Amino acid sequence: MQDLSNKKILYIDLKTQSYEVKNHPGLHKYIGGTGMGLKLLQQNIKEDPLVFAIGPLNGFFPFCSKTAVVLDDSGVTEDLYIGGRLSTRLRFTGVDALVITGESENPVTLAINNNEVDFKTIDVDKDSLGLPGKRAVLERNNINVYLDDYFFTPEDILKDKFDKKKLSSIVITGTEIFKPKRFDNYISLYQQILKRVDDMTITKGKNPSCSSCPMGCERSKFGEMGGNVLLHSLVACQFAERIYSDVGVVFSCLNVLGYDYTHEDIEALPHLIENTLKELS
Amino acid sequence: MTKILKVKFPDRCNGCEMCVLEVQRQLQKVGLEGSLIRIFADRGENNETSFTIELDPRITNMNIQKIKDICPQDVYEITEEENAGLIK
Repeated sequence: MQDLSNKKILYIDLKTQSYEVKNHPGLHKYIGGTGMGLKLLQQNIKEDPLVFAIGPLNGFFPFCSKTAVVLDDSGVTEDLYIGGRLSTRLRFTGVDALVITGESENPVTLAINNNEVDFKTIDVDKDSLGLPGKRAVLERNNINVYLDDYFFTPEDILKDKFDKKKLSSIVITGTEIFKPKRFDNYISLYQQILKRVDDMTITKGKNPSCSSCPMGCERSKFGEMGGNVLLHSLVACQFAERIYSDVGVVFSCLNVLGYDYTHEDIEALPHLIENTLKELS
Repeated sequence: MTKILKVKFPDRCNGCEMCVLEVQRQLQKVGLEGSLIRIFADRGENNETSFTIELDPRITNMNIQKIKDICPQDVYEITEEENAGLIK
């Protein structure tokens, strides 16, 4: 079982084509997603980081199906959210966030397999990278940056950052296995939350769905921008706000997975985020 | 008679992977590695996203009713077959 008190970050430097995994116990209090992503942005701002961050519940609980994308857009801090399979693939790589710094000399494709990164040219056959059924593909096509040819983020912010960094695509494969500390309690809580479909503020549809979300809603493909900081630090879907803005539910989920957060830690998060934003400005 | 899980409506699959993760929970783990169900995303006709489901025959040993029930699109059916899985 992974040490949950340490946030594990995969740093990728496009300029030197190198990478490194670092443990950051100091990021623990930022919980994940937006909270942790903003702090990573602030810590690495000189390197123009593109941060992809998941929260502690991604991959474990239903409706926690988004990935936070945090970046600086010409002096403006932006937080975007993308659905699809990215959050589960990132979870199963075993890392909590990707921090992509610098700019590549030539257009590059990143093939990420758990903690390892291969830097490939753009003419590589992407179908040959990673493992089918266990990967997600973020790709700059002639319109925008798409995840698995379907999901994207609002506006052109991510696309512009990909272009600036000469980043063509990212193929992420995760094969790590987790076993929550209190497995029986975890299953029971999972089932309780799954039954709360009526608390979702979007209707069920027949569209491609985000991984770990049964809704198949019509909005999933568009992603999100801004919003509730607790929700986006977890990183749940905005339409699950009635479920995951309840500190009691969140605390139970974290506790059953073996995280040692307290109610006070969760309540302190908005203040920490506010301070980080002040430091960034 | 053996109960068999079958993909009855493959076109309905929305790729949510609830079934994949349900199987893993039954195996007391969370992740994708070693799952008895795998879902592949493809580009279907008219360039639309579609999904292909692959079932490992060992799925029969799992609680298949739970797997069927967790699918939000009723993709699966359970049938009963005599001598299922045996080579005659």
